Amino acid sequence: MFQNGNGTAGRGDTFEALSRIGADVAFERVSSVADCVERASREEVDLVVVDRGGPCIHAEVLAALAAESPPVVVVVAVDDDEDDALDAFRCGAADCVRAAHDYAEVLPVVALEQIRRWRQLRERRAAHRRIDWLERYNDNIIQSINSALVVVNRDGRITFANPTAGHILGCRAGDLGDRPVADWFTGGDDGPALITRTLEEGVRFKGAETMITLADGTLTPIGISCTPLLDESGEILGAVAIFQDLSEIKQLQRQVLQQEKMASIGQLAAGVAHEINNPMGFIHANLYQMSEYLQDMEGWFGAVDGLQRAAEAGDAEAVSAASQRLAEIAREIDVDYVRADFKKAVRESQEGSERIRHIVKDLREFSHQGSSERMLADVNQCVDSTANIVWTMMKHSVILEKEYADLPEISCYPMQLKQVFMNLLVNAYQAIEERQAEGDREPGVIRIVSSQRSGGVLVSISDTGIGIAETDLQRIFDPFFTTKEVGTGTGLGLSTSYGIVKRHGGTMNVASEIDRGSTFDVWLPFKPPDDMPPG
Amino acid sequence: MARVLIVDDEVRILTALRRSLRREGWEILTAESPAEALRMIDDAPVDVVLSDYKMPGMSGLEMLAEIGRRSPRTVKLLITGWAEAVSEAELVEVGVSALIPKPWDDKLLKRILRGHLGAG
Repeated sequence: MFQNGNGTAGRGDTFEALSRIGADVAFERVSSVADCVERASREEVDLVVVDRGGPCIHAEVLAALAAESPPVVVVVAVDDDEDDALDAFRCGAADCVRAAHDYAEVLPVVALEQIRRWRQLRERRAAHRRIDWLERYNDNIIQSINSALVVVNRDGRITFANPTAGHILGCRAGDLGDRPVADWFTGGDDGPALITRTLEEGVRFKGAETMITLADGTLTPIGISCTPLLDESGEILGAVAIFQDLSEIKQLQRQVLQQEKMASIGQLAAGVAHEINNPMGFIHANLYQMSEYLQDMEGWFGAVDGLQRAAEAGDAEAVSAASQRLAEIAREIDVDYVRADFKKAVRESQEGSERIRHIVKDLREFSHQGSSERMLADVNQCVDSTANIVWTMMKHSVILEKEYADLPEISCYPMQLKQVFMNLLVNAYQAIEERQAEGDREPGVIRIVSSQRSGGVLVSISDTGIGIAETDLQRIFDPFFTTKEVGTGTGLGLSTSYGIVKRHGGTMNVASEIDRGSTFDVWLPFKPPDDMPPG
Repeated sequence: MARVLIVDDEVRILTALRRSLRREGWEILTAESPAEALRMIDDAPVDVVLSDYKMPGMSGLEMLAEIGRRSPRTVKLLITGWAEAVSEAELVEVGVSALIPKPWDDKLLKRILRGHLGAG
């Protein structure tokens, strides 16, 4: 940029001198202060040269340029006052060149140096802007992510926490600074808190599940990843923890499991209702019929009374008439049949009520033994009472075979084991039903065998159902895996069962062949782990 | 004399139904399985079949559909404690005239049968 002042005098042409710099710098000439300021505000301008404009002009240019404008080099005439150069510096010129004899050599060097400095400065400014932007960007992410982020120092005190961390820990993020993280991460029966282990041993955790204790003592389940902060020598400086509140997810999991339980129970309830309904049906009909019989018998009893009264009165004619009436009624109502059938109806109804009593007894046996208590229980009894109930829904299509060995009682959660057996038996029944739906009219067989095996109890449940494809076999214990029709299964039955057996320190295995059937083996140790969780 | 065939795998239900209908003046036949019922139909046609739904080997509905093919004029009635297991569409398709819930109401049952057979 080149401002050609008015009334300048001196040797050499400034424009020509600057041209010697080379092709990578282009110059443009303007002839008014306003034009100069306007052009200097453009991005591509790296230098302003005010050529011999005199003190008024260079002061005016320097004053008009914005703070972050490119540098200004002032060229003063050779015969100008010495003070003019000083004055130019005072006004903010980057440099000043006197248009002396060596001026054509000096000016390009000065200009180049200024351009180089300016470009460096501009790059630095851009880098700073980029850093500022990145910082704001990172900060935005950290402040707004749905996960809590906490940084602690070597002493386990919080040095940084984002708002989500404050939200989960029940405290404003700003108030968390310098608080010991152990206020929340208290650790538990299973050892010190994970974050403490990261600080002390440098252990990394990814997606671990643990509990934190809030100020009011409530426990919140969280999923947490912990990483140690290390210096160059590998010394632990602190730790970074990222965690999420799992309360809602846990709640949903419980609901889904409950639904799974309810689905099985619903099916059972339908089976039991049907089983009770049949005897109810004929007891109901028999009672109705018996009341009709009684109505018929009323006339007959009346006639008997009449006969008795006549006999007591000693009136032979009346006796004869009464006995004739009695015979007529007996014929009319078919009294012999009614008497015999009444007895039969009573007997059959008694048998029906006995059957209902038996079903209720099975139900009670199935549901007795506290819901979540750990106790010594007979596994045969667990599987048998479950089978009796489940059988009510499958008696039409299934032959149930049982072979129980003598078993010692084991410490377990009987209700949970019953849930396992119920799942396996219902699955076996459904596998048989599917086979029958494909046209097989033969009744299926479910066989339950218990035995003592390798220091534990083995219960095998086999069926002659459709079997499980080999590709599905390895996935059947996965949560939500199901091949059943939508609405028939949640895909949690086997994974829940597997979890229960595992908690009991046992194992669960399956062998299956398409179109031949499946066998599920449940093995439970005589001595299950002492710290067996209730589930 | 009108002929009524009752099919149920529960023999006590058969006895109770026979008892209920004894005085209606119809000939009451009973079968304990769909297979037995189909054999009886082949031997001699009946006017009404009253069948249970859930039975071994074949459901009552499947059996009624088969009876409909073999003996189109036979009236088909279903009696079940699992009314919800049967859809309206299935009943229409098989041509079931009435669905009677179990435990049944004696008077209602007789009224339905009389409607199809006339008294005696």
